[in-house]
Amino acid sequence: MAITTHRLTFPLTAESARSLRAGDMVIMSGEIVVTAGLPTHHRLIGCLNGVEPMPMDLNGASVFHLGSYSEEKDGTLQLHYINPTTSTRFNALMPTLISGFNWHAVGGKGGLDRPCVEALRQVGGVYLSFLGGGAALHTQAIRRVIEVGWSDMLMHYRLVRLQVEDMGPVTVAIDAHGVSLYEISGAT
Amino acid sequence: MTGIGFDTIKRVTADLYDRSLRFIPADSKVALRKADGIETNETARHTLQTMIRSAEAAEQSWRFVCSDSGVPVYVIKVGTQARFSGNVRQAIVEGFADLVASIQPPLLPHVTNPLTLERGHSGRHMPIVTFDMVDDCDFIDITCSPKALGSGRWSAMEIFSFPDLPTIEAYVLDVVRKAGSQPCPPVVVGVGIGGTFDYACKLAKEATLRPIGQPHPEAMVAAMEERLLAAVNRTGFGPMGTGGDSTATAVHVDYAAGHGFTPVAVTFNCWINRRTRARLFNDGRVEIIE
Repeated sequence: MAITTHRLTFPLTAESARSLRAGDMVIMSGEIVVTAGLPTHHRLIGCLNGVEPMPMDLNGASVFHLGSYSEEKDGTLQLHYINPTTSTRFNALMPTLISGFNWHAVGGKGGLDRPCVEALRQVGGVYLSFLGGGAALHTQAIRRVIEVGWSDMLMHYRLVRLQVEDMGPVTVAIDAHGVSLYEISGAT
Repeated sequence: MTGIGFDTIKRVTADLYDRSLRFIPADSKVALRKADGIETNETARHTLQTMIRSAEAAEQSWRFVCSDSGVPVYVIKVGTQARFSGNVRQAIVEGFADLVASIQPPLLPHVTNPLTLERGHSGRHMPIVTFDMVDDCDFIDITCSPKALGSGRWSAMEIFSFPDLPTIEAYVLDVVRKAGSQPCPPVVVGVGIGGTFDYACKLAKEATLRPIGQPHPEAMVAAMEERLLAAVNRTGFGPMGTGGDSTATAVHVDYAAGHGFTPVAVTFNCWINRRTRARLFNDGRVEIIE
């Protein structure tokens, strides 16, 4: 069966997410938010519980487990590189975050477990698999650093909103209909 | 004849780490192309081809292949005829510090204090270095094999009493199954059997450094490697765990005699299989091997 490749605008809507099937490829343009920090995820749960205000609006955002290194030069943030980190260590927190913020696209590498698959199915969301060791390719797609949240944290833990153009292709590894390639392959 | 100097060790070890981040070894390129040629899953072929493109793009632009530069790990073989004109460990520590200050693009702070979880670019016993003696050589042989979270997290070791081969092989597959999609397959699996607790882990680590396609010299071990590689690739995890036949490019096994208690250690290198190597001679020559 031939692979379908979709060119989509991000943040992904629930409608677009539901149009995808596990195994499809996606080329991404638009706005995404990235972080590689477990402490960041705990802090976001705190925001949902009213502990502190959100550092940026993440409702309906496309949020990926990607670590990045950016530096301020001549008054603008320049991104050196970006690459996925292993998503499974966020398993316990992701269902609350997916449901709480209506995330229609999440991703990284390594996949998420069944409770996350169910949360994605309920909100109409997908998990996108980025190539690990793909820094040179992923970084080429970054056009601009739009904003950075929680600058008090380590570089790769911060929330970074980016404008991207033709990022990918990435693989739809978990679709919005409850199908996970990781479960089919037996890898989770 | 002044011997192997402080500045040479400092410069070469820093350079080995820097270079290891920007390309993948020649044997890994060959193995990925071979996997792409026999892979039956279309998504998996696509992922394998993207891996090759990614490695080429990093090498051509001399950028990092992966954002997780890991922590610097050196395996050093010291010839018994090698002579030093300065401190060795201190040279490696200073080389890493200089590299952190100057490398472009900069390194993320991955060096972590395991007790406080504080992260930075230096710490106790960092870089991680092991030394072994090699008879009748007038050089030191340094391999740099940085370890990052994706592949470092899933290593495991268990100690058995007088296990038979099926028990050992079942354990290896158990560790591979638990790792699943997480160490960025297709991986190189290193297996160390026997010796003692510490020695089995060292054998496993060093087994990952053996060039892909070079079987163990003993037929019984080579046959085990072949069986395990076939079994790992039958799991169906595939590249990045999204399905396929290419879960490992190699399984390398080594063993040591021990008592009846038999440690079995299993470790992984992710698909980029970072590895650089050089030899430093008494007469000042530096030979870059890879």
